[in-house]
Amino acid sequence: MARTSPENREPVFTPIAQNGPATASSKYKDITSQFNDSKDRGRPDSDIQTINRRKEIQFKASHFLLIGFFLWIFLLHAIGIYFFTKGFLLTRLVLDYKSECTAPPFDLGKQSPRTYTDGCWHPKTFDKAVIIIIDALRYDFTVPFSGIPHHFHNALTVLDETARQSPGNAFLLPFIADPPTSTLQRLKGLTTGTLPTFIDIGSNFAGTAIEEDNLLGQLRNAGKTLVHLGDDTWHSLFPGYFDANLTHAYDSFNVWDLFTVDNGVTEHLIPLLSTENTGKWDVLFGHYLGVDHAGHRYGPDHPATNSKLREMDDVLRKVITLMDDKTLLVVMGDHGMDVKGDHGGESDDEVEAALWLYSKKGVFGRGHNGKMEPPPTAKERPVGQIDLVPTLSLLLGMPIPFNNLGAPIAEAFVGPGKPDWQRLASVNALAGAQISRYQHEYSRSRGLAESIFSLPQGYWADGLQSWKEAVQHKERGDLYATAFEKFSQYQQETLRICRGLWATFNIPSMLEGIFILASAVGVVAVFARSSGPSTAEVVPVYLSHMTVLGAIGGASVLLIATILPGMVAKDTSLLGLAAGGIGGFGWVFLELQKGFSLPFPRSLWGWLAVVFTLSQSIGFASNSYTIWEDEIMLCFLGTFAFVAFAASIRQEFFIERILGMSQAAAFFVLSRLASLSRLCREEQMPYCRSTYYASTNSSTSAPWQLLIPLITAILLPVVIKTYYQGTRSYQGSATLWVGFALRMGLLGSAIFWVLDAADDNEWLKMSQGSLKMIKIVLARLLLGSAFVVGTTTFVYGNPCINVEVTPEANADTNDGVVTKPKSVKVFGYANVHGTRYFLLVTNWLLAIFLLQKPMGGGAIGILAVQILALLEIIDTNDLSQTAIGPVVLGLLGSFHFFKTGHQATLSSIQWESAFVALRTVTYPWSPLLVVLNTFGAQILTTVAVPLIALWKQPPKKPRLLSDVAKALATLLLYYAVINLATTMWAGWLRRHLMLYRIFSPRFMTAAAVLITVDLVGILVAIGSLRWNFASIAEVFGWS
Amino acid sequence: MTETTEAKPRKLIPISQPISVLPSDIARLYTHLHPIIILTVYYFCFPYLVADPVSVLFKALAPLAHLQITYCVVCLPQSSGGSTPSPTSSKGPTTRKRVQFAQSAKSKPTSVGSRITPAIISLLLCLSLSAPLLTVILILFGAPLTTHFWHNLLCATHISLLGVLPLFYVHGVNARMWREISGACLPFDEVWGGLVGAVVGAWLGAVPIPLDWDREWQKWPVTIVTGTYLGWFVFRFAGEYFLRGKRIEFD
Repeated sequence: MARTSPENREPVFTPIAQNGPATASSKYKDITSQFNDSKDRGRPDSDIQTINRRKEIQFKASHFLLIGFFLWIFLLHAIGIYFFTKGFLLTRLVLDYKSECTAPPFDLGKQSPRTYTDGCWHPKTFDKAVIIIIDALRYDFTVPFSGIPHHFHNALTVLDETARQSPGNAFLLPFIADPPTSTLQRLKGLTTGTLPTFIDIGSNFAGTAIEEDNLLGQLRNAGKTLVHLGDDTWHSLFPGYFDANLTHAYDSFNVWDLFTVDNGVTEHLIPLLSTENTGKWDVLFGHYLGVDHAGHRYGPDHPATNSKLREMDDVLRKVITLMDDKTLLVVMGDHGMDVKGDHGGESDDEVEAALWLYSKKGVFGRGHNGKMEPPPTAKERPVGQIDLVPTLSLLLGMPIPFNNLGAPIAEAFVGPGKPDWQRLASVNALAGAQISRYQHEYSRSRGLAESIFSLPQGYWADGLQSWKEAVQHKERGDLYATAFEKFSQYQQETLRICRGLWATFNIPSMLEGIFILASAVGVVAVFARSSGPSTAEVVPVYLSHMTVLGAIGGASVLLIATILPGMVAKDTSLLGLAAGGIGGFGWVFLELQKGFSLPFPRSLWGWLAVVFTLSQSIGFASNSYTIWEDEIMLCFLGTFAFVAFAASIRQEFFIERILGMSQAAAFFVLSRLASLSRLCREEQMPYCRSTYYASTNSSTSAPWQLLIPLITAILLPVVIKTYYQGTRSYQGSATLWVGFALRMGLLGSAIFWVLDAADDNEWLKMSQGSLKMIKIVLARLLLGSAFVVGTTTFVYGNPCINVEVTPEANADTNDGVVTKPKSVKVFGYANVHGTRYFLLVTNWLLAIFLLQKPMGGGAIGILAVQILALLEIIDTNDLSQTAIGPVVLGLLGSFHFFKTGHQATLSSIQWESAFVALRTVTYPWSPLLVVLNTFGAQILTTVAVPLIALWKQPPKKPRLLSDVAKALATLLLYYAVINLATTMWAGWLRRHLMLYRIFSPRFMTAAAVLITVDLVGILVAIGSLRWNFASIAEVFGWS
Repeated sequence: MTETTEAKPRKLIPISQPISVLPSDIARLYTHLHPIIILTVYYFCFPYLVADPVSVLFKALAPLAHLQITYCVVCLPQSSGGSTPSPTSSKGPTTRKRVQFAQSAKSKPTSVGSRITPAIISLLLCLSLSAPLLTVILILFGAPLTTHFWHNLLCATHISLLGVLPLFYVHGVNARMWREISGACLPFDEVWGGLVGAVVGAWLGAVPIPLDWDREWQKWPVTIVTGTYLGWFVFRFAGEYFLRGKRIEFD
């Protein structure tokens, strides 16, 4: 590309003067006529108008087709992500049905009392229960060990001792957790009796509260008083379930604290067991965290674990002595821990917890399998954690929750002495019949064929047959035993199938998704980075071929799916659509091959862009590089600034050299300044200190942080103004918008956050309600001015130029009277496109700034200046055609994602941003606000990407639209490669210990970013070009 | 816009030439021996460096400076311009050919005594100018801001002793030369290769830090210093033998 030397890029442009009077009717008429192509000069005005009209239509058509092409790319990304997600993200539909006390699924005749007082589906055994969870109680912590003991051995002995000495009073069994073994997921499993998957598709938007039928819900329905002591996770799952006076919850966050929670639980638990207090509650939940925290902090083989286990032993012995004989005592671990004391994955050590049931009634037994003593290892006679729900439900006389898939634990029902087969068969019949109910409803809701459950249904039929015979032949007890066997087999087989449905990755679907995403990367790479004909020439051909072939592909698959319903599912037609589109693109590319060069980097800058993107992508295969992504982004941005500084030194022209060097240095320093804002993820501990909020375990800002938006509001408009003044572009719309609206808007946001802090800390003597209202009105006003007023200004505003017309004048000189021709001066000519388009960036800046917390507002302000500095670096070093500009924008987006208090984890989503401008959850606005908060940095950089091509370019530069399209495509390429890499790694590492904690959330982040960036890029960046070009063409004519 | 014929080239046209080692046998021998000695010593110091980075890096400064000065004095031609910047350097860059740096020294080696003084001056310049600047750059790249000040300063000092000291010795403080150096447009030779290698090595040295291997040597700034030494070693030879005369091109 030929570039004009700086002398020709003066901010003030003086076109050749033209004869003829200036008409007042059109302010810009003079320059318009000047700027029409030389070949058009001298033609009559009407001709020029016709030509201009034709060019305008040409531009609008190519612009329209370009949007169509980008929509295709979006479609490919969406289809690829859909197919991968379908196979990868294990999802389960949550059914809202609840089991009823009066409607048992299986008719036991007179044995079903159907009342809460005697028992719903089965006569109850206990009135009250104390349920104690010792977090991370691994099975081998509880059984005697005869070799050389570790610290965790032989410390907690009471469980084994009681189960051995009085089998009628207690039993101890391995208690196998279903992964993921995090406490929250485990509590869901322990109370609903089902398998929590990574995503349970429910009806709630943000909360974690359990909405499906569960044991606690049933107990509350029956009017029982529930008390909870310990880990506060219970309260986010079961808000409002517990008796407010007796319940004491403790923060589960601080894993370094081994004592606060445990001491609190014990302190309140023991008094509640005394005879004068037992009347106050029905079911008591105690959740101890000390053992888990000792594991996290020191590992299991450490004296701290030992003393924690001994403490638990003491507590349990005390509880046993205090208990009355109507009460059931349950002690369990919700998961185990690995050798380092951590959990979350699915290794044996993490899933093997312990379960112990105790009562003074002496109703338990062992008879059904002849084994009396607790299993020596967790590999023998284990029960599933989901089995607890039906067991407790039936023991306490509750209906079994609707979604339960577990079976009653035999030891609890078999009875002391001779096995009571009839009782075993009837509790299993109840559980089995409920599973059967659930399975029909689930199949119906999800459109599953009943045939996949045919094997277990066979067992069920056999069991029913034996049951009927047993009822008829009362003397033959062995028939009940057969029925019990068959019912158990039915439950196990159904569970296996459900596990298969929810816990088995669908590899072909994942591969299809990856293949489509990889092809889409190829398509975008070719489109963005191969030099050749302008996009205006190739896009129509691409678009027509992709659409026709895609339609053929999709329609033909759909036809097959309709004719042969069993062979392929309907959504396979999307695959046909994508394949057709990719095929169409490839076809055109092969035909036009000679006109293109392959998309390989041709300069150090291009290579730098490739190295940044690829090394980051490869790094996502490692959990360490994924965890430390924020620091890596800083290093990459620094590298860019470092190289840009060196490159700028090579500039021969002084002004350009100083501009490039200073902007590179500013970019470098601002990156480091922004990096001071951090919100550490759990895995970064203890090498990271969060600064985003007032302290590491608060989520509100410190008072001094409120100054950050204020300082940004004062400085940012001034800084933006200096960038405009460099080309004398601080004219027209810019003065009003940047100088007034943006400044006021930023100040308003700063005030909003002060009010928010005042609300949190009750600084003002004002009612909460009126303060909230002021906040919401202010926020809506600001968002309205950003999007409504801002967009209107952008659409109808004039370019940021000023035209000075000096009329023809006679001047007396020594040589006599000289006629000075009429002259026209255009201020701000050198950056017509850039300065006008940047106004759109400020609109989005304003909205995103408001939605960030104070610290994040500072980061977004820095991002805005960094974008401008990048544009100057790109311009002075003539890099607008290389990939480095859009890729660095992409890096900036990723970097500031972290600097605005986010991490690639679900827990770091700032849900409360939905309530900045809304009182309640309102669709679609609440999710949009959360997206603007979460991906604000990426959105802002995407809106800014056309500037890479537009900044300081002459108004009628040929192929400008094509350059913008390529810049946007390059940015999409960066995010698409990141998405492809995280997708591939998540799929490849699907059995990795850290899948749920690291790889899966990173994949979900990348996919969400790609979809967001696609949509913003198409609708905002490309879409708004139409008005930008039209407004400039009004002055300078169409190119 | 139409193209205008450009009166001046837009980019700096470098006039620097590759440096050659002094034409004596001892210079040719020592220039190969020197990096091997330094790397061997580094290898044996490594366990102590891991155990206590600050004190080991500090204690190593004097021997390293000593070795580098010896290397400069024995092997390298000294700057002819001395400490006076060329007054014409900014005037007509295309017309002047500054080959005398390498040429003059090559023709007649001066006495050892007269070469020690510029070497000491180079050391002082290197400690007072480039070490603080590199510390700032390290921090900008993400080095700990508040906690590891001495680590950063010593790490930067090692980089500048290895990479920058010989450049001061051979190019003096000529403004034009230093503009070419900071614009990274010198031709490759063993001196320039050494600096490029030290910088690239330090950059790559950051790669293993985040890994969760829980090794003692992953701590700041051990990997950076190690990367610096290895990169310097490799690029010194690569710059002399494979890349000699080539320049880094951005576009």
